[in-house]
Amino acid sequence: MAPSKDILDEKPVKIDKWDSGALKNALDDGAKKVLLDIMGFKESHKLMNGRLFLCTVAIGFAMFALLWDYLYPFPQSRNVLLCCVISYFVLMGILTFYLTYVERGIFLVALEQDKARMEPDNKWTLQSSLRKYDDTYHLTVSFTDGKTQAERSTTISRCVANFFDDNGTFRFDLFQPVVRKLKEDLSSEKKMN
Amino acid sequence: MGSFDFLDEVRRMNGRQLYYQVLNFGMIVSSALMIWKGLMVVTGSESPIVVVLSGSMEPAFHRGDLLLLTNHREEPIRVGEIVVFKIEGRDIPIVHRVLKVHEKENGTVRFLTKGDNNSVDDRGLYAKGQLWLEKKDVVGRAKAFLPYAGIVTILMNDYPKFKYAILAFLGLFVLTHRE
Repeated sequence: MAPSKDILDEKPVKIDKWDSGALKNALDDGAKKVLLDIMGFKESHKLMNGRLFLCTVAIGFAMFALLWDYLYPFPQSRNVLLCCVISYFVLMGILTFYLTYVERGIFLVALEQDKARMEPDNKWTLQSSLRKYDDTYHLTVSFTDGKTQAERSTTISRCVANFFDDNGTFRFDLFQPVVRKLKEDLSSEKKMN
Repeated sequence: MGSFDFLDEVRRMNGRQLYYQVLNFGMIVSSALMIWKGLMVVTGSESPIVVVLSGSMEPAFHRGDLLLLTNHREEPIRVGEIVVFKIEGRDIPIVHRVLKVHEKENGTVRFLTKGDNNSVDDRGLYAKGQLWLEKKDVVGRAKAFLPYAGIVTILMNDYPKFKYAILAFLGLFVLTHRE
């Protein structure tokens, strides 16, 4: 698929370059764009949906407790409040677990559909980390073959200064080749085996 | 354009990220709410933490002191204890010391309170015609206090605009910053 022209013509992303959160988000978004918009993979929202579901249920418990306490003032509502409070904090525990062991920094799961739609989708997973006060961005690309379920991954670590100019404008034109190369390396490895 | 640069980050989010942003804000509020409700259940008091707003209990408590209350059913009210109670027609509960207690065999309790720093008892503060307080008026009994920890609450009460400014600023900050 040829990169559509408007992707490269978009208004460049400008951020506060001293804000590590904003740096990571800009880089993550850039890597996402390469796989989804330029290579045309399909995003799988399962991981994010899981997190959204957990948060929604937790807030649901809190809102229910608020409503119940309003309808049946305190001493009466005690048992319901107790249940809601326990459920809420258990859910917060599960959410922490989910973020550390299930999501673990994965910000994109993309599916590469077989052109003939005969074989199961190949799965590409992007995972990144950028520590606070650290200028090294670690990006891991993992590839899971849909047919054999074999998994391979490579990681690069680059200084964020490579991809931003002095004003904090994200240089997608410099970042894109890096992600592409990472992807190509994994793909060619696939062909060698 | 310049002044709305901070919204750029929001503009780049997709639907799920925006929803998560709102959830994130909701979870900060919910966590505070659930800690409060949890304290209510543990202490048995409908308002487990109060801030002393007047100087009527000096020198025991000063304006801005934070009190931790409990209100367990089985604990009897005794003379000398400091209770927080509500009066019909008043929004803000009062923190004063118990002066006299009458207990009946059937379990009903009536008691009178007075502020340490006041020269008369509280009958003048009670609702019209009310001479005694009862168990249902009690919000809780002071079990622990943190001197001056609630001074921010007093500032916010005295300057409501300050309160709304802080709330608006924090809300905006959480909603516009990703993670």
